[in-house]
Amino acid sequence: MIDKKIAKKVLNELLASGGQFGELFIQKRLSNSLRLDDNKIENALSGFEIGCGLRLIYEDSTYYAYLDSIEESKLFESAKILRAAINSSIINKPINLNDSYSSYDVKVLKIPNEVDPEDKKNILIKVNEAARNKSKYIYQVTANLSDVQEETIIANTDGIFSKNHVVKVFLAVSVIAIKNKEIRTGYKSLAKTKGFEIFNEKKPEVVAAEATQIAINMLDAVNAPVGVLPVVIGPGFGGVIFHEACGHGLEADAIIKNASVFKDKIGFKIASDIVTALDDSTLPGHWGSFKFDDEGTPSNKNVLIEDGVLRSYMLDIKSSKKLKSPLTGNGRRQSFRDIPIPRMTNTFIANGSEEPENIINSVKKGIYAKEFSGGQVDPATGDFVFGISEGYLIENGKLSNPIKGATLIGNGPEILNKIEAIGNDLDFSPGFCGKNGQSITNEVGQPTIKISSITIGGTGL
Amino acid sequence: MVYFSRNSNNNHDNNIELARKISLLIDKSKIDEYEIYISSSTDNELEVFEGKVESLSYSDSKGIGIRIFKDKKIGYSYTTSLEENKIKDCIEKAILNSKITYPENINGLPLENEFRYSKDNEIQKYIYDENFFKFDIEKKIKLALDLEKVVKGIDKRISGVDSLNYSDNYSEVAIINSNGFEGNYKNTSCFLFLNVISKDKNDTSTGFSFLYDRNPQKLNIEQIAQEASNKSLVLLGAKKIKSTYADILIENIVAAQFLGIIASILTADSVQKGKSLFKDKIGEKIFSKNIDIFDNGVMKEGFSSKPFDAEGVNKGNTCVFKDGVLQTYLYDSYTARKDKTLSTGNAVRASYKSNPTVGVSNFYLTSSENYNLEDIFKKIDNGFYVIDIIGLHSGANPITGDISVGAKGLWIKKGNIEFPVKEITIATDILSFCKKIETIGNDLRFFPSAGFIGCPSLHVKDIAISGI
Repeated sequence: MIDKKIAKKVLNELLASGGQFGELFIQKRLSNSLRLDDNKIENALSGFEIGCGLRLIYEDSTYYAYLDSIEESKLFESAKILRAAINSSIINKPINLNDSYSSYDVKVLKIPNEVDPEDKKNILIKVNEAARNKSKYIYQVTANLSDVQEETIIANTDGIFSKNHVVKVFLAVSVIAIKNKEIRTGYKSLAKTKGFEIFNEKKPEVVAAEATQIAINMLDAVNAPVGVLPVVIGPGFGGVIFHEACGHGLEADAIIKNASVFKDKIGFKIASDIVTALDDSTLPGHWGSFKFDDEGTPSNKNVLIEDGVLRSYMLDIKSSKKLKSPLTGNGRRQSFRDIPIPRMTNTFIANGSEEPENIINSVKKGIYAKEFSGGQVDPATGDFVFGISEGYLIENGKLSNPIKGATLIGNGPEILNKIEAIGNDLDFSPGFCGKNGQSITNEVGQPTIKISSITIGGTGL
Repeated sequence: MVYFSRNSNNNHDNNIELARKISLLIDKSKIDEYEIYISSSTDNELEVFEGKVESLSYSDSKGIGIRIFKDKKIGYSYTTSLEENKIKDCIEKAILNSKITYPENINGLPLENEFRYSKDNEIQKYIYDENFFKFDIEKKIKLALDLEKVVKGIDKRISGVDSLNYSDNYSEVAIINSNGFEGNYKNTSCFLFLNVISKDKNDTSTGFSFLYDRNPQKLNIEQIAQEASNKSLVLLGAKKIKSTYADILIENIVAAQFLGIIASILTADSVQKGKSLFKDKIGEKIFSKNIDIFDNGVMKEGFSSKPFDAEGVNKGNTCVFKDGVLQTYLYDSYTARKDKTLSTGNAVRASYKSNPTVGVSNFYLTSSENYNLEDIFKKIDNGFYVIDIIGLHSGANPITGDISVGAKGLWIKKGNIEFPVKEITIATDILSFCKKIETIGNDLRFFPSAGFIGCPSLHVKDIAISGI
């Protein structure tokens, strides 16, 4: 898309009036999405985008422009417009661009554009049939299948020249079950940074059956209780609790803006001794994994909390320069239209030693939260919530009635110290995270954990 | 100092003409009908932090979305490249996509006799303001920096501003289709968002506010500074409370977010697919009070106003609830045909990247019986004044109707504010919520989200509050 010589010329132009950092982010993206709803393939959509984002950092200010083109003359024009914003006497040393290296190497076997559209359609047809065949209570099935093929080139004045090719496939299944006027929903997704071979590893019908099972399990749900109780959180998507309660507060932009409860806490104990948590973009094929982040930094395994002690924040280039702390590979952006900011990748609590059954058995009266609809946090206060989509009462160490309409609410630093037990069944779940108007792919994960007490927001007083 | 020079409006000229040119590239023997949607946009975004520009972003962009119908099947494709071969690829992709979608007799472009409303020739002048262009980048930066200064001067307990963003947009949309429709409109808008952090002893709290206008010169920084600061300051020292049932008074901005959930299940699409609690409820009294709800696509001060919708159907003013009784759903041309009615002009698309679906425009709740906030306070003996919520997207399920969200605000005792409250939840379900609305405020305010949703403050009886 662009060679080193041209990239160098544009970068030189970008820094011609001074500035500490210049960058080109070139991206080509092919995308397809297919939607099944109400027993039919409702629409099929394809897109092509190509463009470039130019970034210039001068003192603490970032100047950004993007264009829907990668024509050399237009890149020059944009570089000129950007550099007109600053006027500094700092003379920059000549730039040398070197190919970046990353040890992340996952082969994509079935490239989306080489998959017959009929085969894509059949995936959704199978999902629909599998969900409806599983239970007579299934009333509606909605399924989305989307794929993305991206090529990016990142060149910056620190000498980075990184080329990346990304393939992602995403299947989401939502079902509605109705029994005696009780309406319940179930949702499950399968998403990987891989090609269509993901459906050899897990059949679309299995994803459909899992979504259906959630809705069916919840059909006889009673109102969730209110007040404070112990909660056991299931593996996989339960990791959204760490994502909200802690993860966002460890993103370095919140630290710099003094908008995080974890500022100045590196080296301090912030969680119970049994908690070790990581952000790891090297996990092969995971939804939040990559070869390079969106600033050209290689993927990285970053220990955030070790035995309860805070070890690291998550940084991008700008925060790394500002905090004089090494890059962690967390500079991410939605597309060439967006300024990169510190973001999580695959973020999870590491395995502990306990058997999940024993953790549930240890609770006399409480809640087992198995699946979640998502969450939200205010990093400045640490207050967070997350919604339970499949949950049960625990009575005398055993699961009893399913519960509906519950949210958990707590404060990050408090909850981290209330993690009393960690299981040995680490699992992951893909999702999308929104911040500053940018939506990116990431994964949450955890084994079964127990929180000694948290507020449950139901209606069953 | 020169920042970005706005180099004319070249980007926006001739979108209709471009669409016509594109239509000539379509091989008419391969399709039955086509629609070309073009949107061009000029965007500025700016953030300040501690007296400096934190970031400044600028762009001119354009995208093309092509929808085709062949044998009653739909195909869609988009491109950001204006190169002829890329546009040809885009057309080809749309045709290929149509081969795998499901054929339905009611698929097809809208026809003029399917429009419920006649064209509003006035609305264009309200959604575009020439003064927008008189506000250059230096003025925008100054506005943001001044706002930061004003906020910090309000109270010494204000410890920081973690988010202060100004953004604006000038866009033009053009649609042409093979039924002979040709239309375009242009639009200016600017938006200011502020989030303030306050600290006192060991407590931290945050508060946000926002402002929007067609013309940035009208943005009142004193107003937004005061609102965000007050919200943050009144919450300092907030505590948890015991779980209970109590009346809640939901501030207008929060009420508008709840109303957004209700709005999402009033589209004919969700009703026809059985995803709406309002299915088979036309003519039923849903609200116990005399509440009216409108979706007004041509409201002068509405940020979702435009002359026609995402597939070229005229927009108008639709009364969705009258005196608490459900009158109609919101339709695009496909769902209207399915229900044998006319399109209300509610086809929407997030951008050229998506095909049209049904959505709301300026959607708001009013009542002829409305009260001052002070008078509503007096009606509440023991209750909770909700000034912010958290977790609405994960805590509200529009299909089942269950709602459980985190909330913070002030406790009301005998009509007076007692103390700030945090880390509690409020939970209900949509239909009970509608029934339990007891008093409606006179402070209608709009919240820009998916559509432009407006609601006054609402006093709701007997809601489950979970705390300690």
